[in-house]
Amino acid sequence: MKLSYPADRELLLRTGPKRASRHLVKGVVVTVLILSLSHRDAGSEGVRSNSGEPELVSIRLEPEAVELQGSGATRRFLVLGEFSDGLQREVTSASRLRIADPSIARLGALGHVVSVSSGRTELRAELGGKGAQAEILTLGTERRRPFSFSWDIGGILTKRGCNSSSCHGGVKGRGGFRLSSDATDPAEDYQWIVRGGGYQVLTAEPLGPRNSRIDLDRPEESLLLRKPSFRVAHGGGERLGVGTADYEAVLNWVSRGAGFEGNGEEGLKVERVEVFPSEVVIEEKGKHQLAVTAYFSDGRQEDITGQVRYESLNEEVVRVGEEGLVEGVGKGEAAVMIRTAGRAAEARFGVIGEAIQEYPEVPRQNFIDEEVFGKLRRFHLIPSELSEDGEFIRRVCLDLTGTLPPPERVREFLGSREEDKREKLIGALLESPEYVDYWTFRFADLFRVKGHYRWVHVYWEWVRRSLAGNKSYDQMVRESIAAQGYDGPSRIYLIDNNKPPALERVVAEQFRVFMGRRMDCAQCHNHPYDRWKQDQFWGLAAFYRRVTNTEWAFDNVVFDDPDGHEVNFGEGKSTLSFRENRHPRTKQLVPPTFLDGRVLPGRDRRDLRRELAAWMTTHPYFAQAMVNRMWGHFFGRGIVDPVDDFRLGNPPTHPSLLNRLAVDFQEHGYDLKHLMRRIVSSRTYQLGSRPNANNGGDRLNYSHANPRPLEAEVLLDAISTVTGVPELYKAEGMLSGTAPPGTRAINLKYPASYANRFLEVFERPKRDVVVARNGKVNLMQALHMTVSPTYNEKLGKKGGRIDRLLHRGASSREIVEEFYLAAFSRFPNEEEQAGLESLIQKQSSRREALEDLLWAVICSREFASNH
Amino acid sequence: MNQLEGLSLGGPISRRAVLRAGSLGFLGITLGRILELEAALGPVKGGRTGKRAEACILLWLDGGPSHIDTWDPKPNSSFKPISTNAPGIQISELLPKMSRKMDKLAVIRSMHTEENNHGVAHHYAMTGHRPSPAMKFPAFSSVITKELGQRHNVPPNVMVPEISAGARDYFRSHFLGAQYDPLQIPDPNRQDYKIPELSLPESLTLERIEARNAFLKLVDGRYRQAVESPEYANLDEFRQQALKMVLSQSVRQAFDLSREPEKLKDAYGRHMFGQSVLIARRLVEAGSRFVTAYDLKRVETGRNWDTHGTNDKQHKDVLVPVLDQTLSTLLTDLEERGLLESTLVIAMGEFGRTYDLNPGGGRDHWCHCWSMVLGGGGIRGGQIIGASDERGAYVADRMVTIGDLLATIYKALGIDWTREYMHPIGRPLKIANSINDETGKPIEELI
Repeated sequence: MKLSYPADRELLLRTGPKRASRHLVKGVVVTVLILSLSHRDAGSEGVRSNSGEPELVSIRLEPEAVELQGSGATRRFLVLGEFSDGLQREVTSASRLRIADPSIARLGALGHVVSVSSGRTELRAELGGKGAQAEILTLGTERRRPFSFSWDIGGILTKRGCNSSSCHGGVKGRGGFRLSSDATDPAEDYQWIVRGGGYQVLTAEPLGPRNSRIDLDRPEESLLLRKPSFRVAHGGGERLGVGTADYEAVLNWVSRGAGFEGNGEEGLKVERVEVFPSEVVIEEKGKHQLAVTAYFSDGRQEDITGQVRYESLNEEVVRVGEEGLVEGVGKGEAAVMIRTAGRAAEARFGVIGEAIQEYPEVPRQNFIDEEVFGKLRRFHLIPSELSEDGEFIRRVCLDLTGTLPPPERVREFLGSREEDKREKLIGALLESPEYVDYWTFRFADLFRVKGHYRWVHVYWEWVRRSLAGNKSYDQMVRESIAAQGYDGPSRIYLIDNNKPPALERVVAEQFRVFMGRRMDCAQCHNHPYDRWKQDQFWGLAAFYRRVTNTEWAFDNVVFDDPDGHEVNFGEGKSTLSFRENRHPRTKQLVPPTFLDGRVLPGRDRRDLRRELAAWMTTHPYFAQAMVNRMWGHFFGRGIVDPVDDFRLGNPPTHPSLLNRLAVDFQEHGYDLKHLMRRIVSSRTYQLGSRPNANNGGDRLNYSHANPRPLEAEVLLDAISTVTGVPELYKAEGMLSGTAPPGTRAINLKYPASYANRFLEVFERPKRDVVVARNGKVNLMQALHMTVSPTYNEKLGKKGGRIDRLLHRGASSREIVEEFYLAAFSRFPNEEEQAGLESLIQKQSSRREALEDLLWAVICSREFASNH
Repeated sequence: MNQLEGLSLGGPISRRAVLRAGSLGFLGITLGRILELEAALGPVKGGRTGKRAEACILLWLDGGPSHIDTWDPKPNSSFKPISTNAPGIQISELLPKMSRKMDKLAVIRSMHTEENNHGVAHHYAMTGHRPSPAMKFPAFSSVITKELGQRHNVPPNVMVPEISAGARDYFRSHFLGAQYDPLQIPDPNRQDYKIPELSLPESLTLERIEARNAFLKLVDGRYRQAVESPEYANLDEFRQQALKMVLSQSVRQAFDLSREPEKLKDAYGRHMFGQSVLIARRLVEAGSRFVTAYDLKRVETGRNWDTHGTNDKQHKDVLVPVLDQTLSTLLTDLEERGLLESTLVIAMGEFGRTYDLNPGGGRDHWCHCWSMVLGGGGIRGGQIIGASDERGAYVADRMVTIGDLLATIYKALGIDWTREYMHPIGRPLKIANSINDETGKPIEELI
């Protein structure tokens, strides 16, 4: 079936009385806002008028020039005004727009321009005595754009919400009718519409009889039109009113034979969808129109601003109308998602209180500061002061080594006048044994070091050696994914009952941990809110298909059988069975397939996991995921947060920073120390945690350090250090005895084998999954702080800090100072010193008073957080 | 946020303001003032639909009892049916004490679930969902705790005795928040039974607690003014709550079994399960909303309900007599205290057992048709719901799913069973999720 698509798609699809009137109303609203600005007398540029209203300084058109290819190509122009308060505001609807030569291009409502014939002309804008112009070049206007079911019908289904994941785009669809969410799988959608039938999750067989949802003989009677126009009952209500442009477009498509593609030309390819602006600042109650453009493979572009679905990811910050007009609701930051057939984009909005004109000069250490401070400037947020030395040494010691600096080290650092003392400290910490201890602990969490006590040690040793030798991160991950034989990392494949875990679990976990994306949903069905397909999941699962092990009691070897022959191992096991990698829905065997659909060629299938590891560790996701995870460690919040949840609908707060960090990490050979040094050397990291008058509400932009709770293990170690009483860890289960006295919680190789009430209560992860520690407090912790042995018995124990200080005959003044240096890495201020000394004095027993003071120190917020 | 806000206003004190004042109180206001403020708070209200049961005790029969040897006697059981005080209802002869209590209980004989392995079935029974790699589901006990709220400073959700970390996951609140997780307490039948977090060290007198708070106020002052985090406010609330729990005699007494008469302890049974159920009653009486008494592998015999071998002997000698004694005593005890109408009692495992014996004389897992009982809390007792076929193999009449059971439980407690929560990953979750993601329907005959 060949289709010819009307030349003026604009007329057929996108006009209608409703639309025009809406534009009109919107225009009025914006105009009211702007009028007071535009009628002020000229010549007062850059200064505030008496009433304090900002003055319009200049305007410009965006884009400044376009090349419109093909018949009916369109583009949306916006007028942007520069104002005296330093803000740029979108003023299109208040401006007067005019096309110099209407025979070349025609002007629709609100800056929408349509090419008419090939040539060159200009769009001119005028507002409050200011002017601007943009060049328009039109070519190939005899070339019509072919029709495409995927793009044209898919776009309508997306715009109208028919295929949203809460409706027919859900896992099972709705009312027996399923569409791919946001038309990501048009061929499938086409089948369900044209051939009919219901979708089933567990089998590719259609459910029920195949009754077409369109009627070629009586197009008006197509179910596809009767339902959404509510001529028959429809759970989703009226979506497509009779006579609307979208209704007419669908009707027209059915009338012309309901083809998949038209004109017999090559299928229409959309190269990208772009939104302007991608990041912008507006005021509370301020408005900003978005302009969305689709770019096609043949060079054509179309304004699709009115044809996409908008969604604000935080309605308390911004709201967005159906036509892409965004309104600031409350201060903060939020993204607007833009969805159209198979494509999505997002625009990030900052809603600010008052614009800051006199912005302070903020020094920058490296590109991190350029990115973070650049955005702070744009968002009118002023960063806090640099952290005090005490704050810095405590923070960086905890972050790089999980260890509080001892009082003498703190004194030395606070007293030093060296210019580069922070750099030197960072260098020393990165080379310290505590660095290895701490990061072994963190990476043991990441690689889930647990399992049978007989071989957990080799696994732990592998992590430790890797950190001690600063092995590159990609190398570590390659060794982990492709691990074989007795290698330490191979033990990850023996974690569950000493045999390889279900391969689908491995896929989801490794993808989440190393690539930062959650594919878990796609195991059972296409991901409802993201773009992951079940095919992609099982394509990756195939790489793990051959993993097996010997299951000998004392000598468990992990390996991939190269070609699937049955092997006789003698002891315990005689045959080798392979789990088949079958797609649960189609029941087809799925070969090893990369995300982009590329099947691993047969000749490369000798060592599947090595191939997978090579692909994964060179994929752009890989570096991104790790820098984001690290960033989350140092700032308590990922640039994408949660750190392993990169997803449509969860965009990064600083996309360009994320990319630069990833590229930098890659260019420096995935050197973890380099990455850490980069981060902690930035001024962003070294800012104080005390907010200033301007940035107190900021949680996303790193304008000040955010306090983070200490991890359970680090907190327990810190309590032991400050009280001077080490914790004893008794083994249970298969092991017996105690860990060597003085062992720190972060040094326990195999945490689960040492029961510890404190660590339980503070939710030490069991390493059953790789979790982000949530740091949420609970009632049990509060009870624990009040009565538990950790918070009571340690205080006065013989040989502890108090005991030693009293023994030495230290004065109360010295004791208070020592507590503060040990716990907070700072000297007490005068008020604290005097207040505490007098409070000690007032108690009947000095010893008890000191214990109670020490209790207060380890229960305080300042102690239990890294800030 | 300004901590004084709300206190200085003359208008009615909002709950929020009082809590905030409380957190200030922790640092300055005396303990007496805390108690005053506490009185001003009144009981915490949840999202209830009417006056209903106030609390729930779950007797969890871990491993899965044999339904044909307990509540649904059949010719293929080795035990005979006996009549009960409820007309027309027969149960197994292994439950003589319960036979005099059946007017209080309803038996569901047509439970149908879809999981035959302990872990998954257990998860399914507690949450209405199969485990998913993508998300964790809150247990219905947490949902109830959240919906009903705390009473009288008593921990609202308690589990006795403590169980392994793996199984614990099915009982957790996950995204609902840690405050709805069960507080786990040790086996109360043990000599050394004690709750570490509720046992005030002897050295810790009231004076010292006040001294410590005075120190803390000074130590924390500077930082508290400068740095904010949402978790800090939570911690203040929890600490205040903790202090009240530790200092409140009634809370500590709720956990103190020594206050029960020896005769009643005997009546419940001098074993882990009996004493756990007794503690459950004490806690519910004091204010807990949901207590799970877990019939774990018996310390005494090393057995639980998972009778893959010698089913009959274990049911007869070990398992059912304990259940018979403890459950019947609980019903009597609750009734005598006037608590039965306000306390929902549930006894169930994760599934039933096969209708025929295996070669080892055991019965294996059976999820297709099994029985459970519930009573009190406004449930109309003396009823049988549904029926199994002649062997107890499949549902013959009126299939009841976990979703239906949960809907019934929620309805008894006055909770809207059609409610959905939004999971953080963006998926709506029915609190009474039934097969095929339908919403469960309450059993109308019961409530």
